[in-house]
Amino acid sequence: MSKKILIVDDSPISRKMLKSCIPKDNGYEFFEAGDGHAGLEAFKEICPHITFMDLTMPVMDGAQALEEIKKLDKDAVVIVSTADIQVKSIEKVLGLGALLVVKKPPTKESVQDALNKAIEVLG
Amino acid sequence: MSAAISQICISDEEKEILQEIMNIAFGKAAADLAEMINIFVELSVPSINMLPTTDLPGYIKSEMLGYNTISIVEQNFWGKFKGSALLVFPAGAGKELITMFECDGESSFATESMDILERETLMEIGNILIGACVGKITELLGDFVTYSPPKVVIENRSNEIIPKNLFNPEYSAIAMKTVFCFKDRDINGFLFLLTSHESFAWLKGSLVTFMEQYE
Repeated sequence: MSKKILIVDDSPISRKMLKSCIPKDNGYEFFEAGDGHAGLEAFKEICPHITFMDLTMPVMDGAQALEEIKKLDKDAVVIVSTADIQVKSIEKVLGLGALLVVKKPPTKESVQDALNKAIEVLG
Repeated sequence: MSAAISQICISDEEKEILQEIMNIAFGKAAADLAEMINIFVELSVPSINMLPTTDLPGYIKSEMLGYNTISIVEQNFWGKFKGSALLVFPAGAGKELITMFECDGESSFATESMDILERETLMEIGNILIGACVGKITELLGDFVTYSPPKVVIENRSNEIIPKNLFNPEYSAIAMKTVFCFKDRDINGFLFLLTSHESFAWLKGSLVTFMEQYE
């Protein structure tokens, strides 16, 4: 069964960069949202297997969206993809239940490692 | 459209790429600052505006509404990417930030006057933020730059009197702005990067090259 991946990021370029790092031949189905609130709504509607979440976004930031997603589904697999690489920011989102953090700019290796870990968790 | 602005027109896609690169660079700058001094920096979504440098005083004033008195730290950089970085703080920010450089409650500048202390603090913060930010942009775009020492060019002055000749008229400018919120200190800093005409062709080409790895 193909896995649904939701990418939440206010930058279309950033979404494109992340998507390009995900292998094309694994049958992933992609969905996108441009801010935390839209991401939360998309999560409710799509029920993605894996969510990539930016942090610094307008309307609702990624940490808030992550918190809300975890309230809806404590087992939700959320990978934070961010330029905010301050230790406190990373600790905060891991504390909120993010599976891991992928630093921007993404690379094929960092995204593949994150996906491998996500798939392991999904079982 | 003025000649200066027409020379620095970029497409929406190029602007978005540059915005994302700035986002990454500002994130790096915040992390470097947080590592050096115990502070958490809340980042904002960066914005990009094209304007002649002669319009910058008015632009900075409009972006700093609510702050009548400001200080500006300037640092120039040279490479294929060439320009100036301006870190703008509301007046008094330097005094507030001084304590971040104190160890165990002891001021490491005990013999300095408050004015000198404040100036040196602003320059040090500027040096860290500007160096990390510009350094990351140029690293991502395949360049290497050298820097002038930071200097405080406006010190606790009304934002009504930012002189027009403060900015190099050749740097008709991409004003890349982000807001750094020093959360525990309730201080905002505004970082503007201005680039020269001659950097512009290089910048456009580098943005294309950067995105090729994501095609």
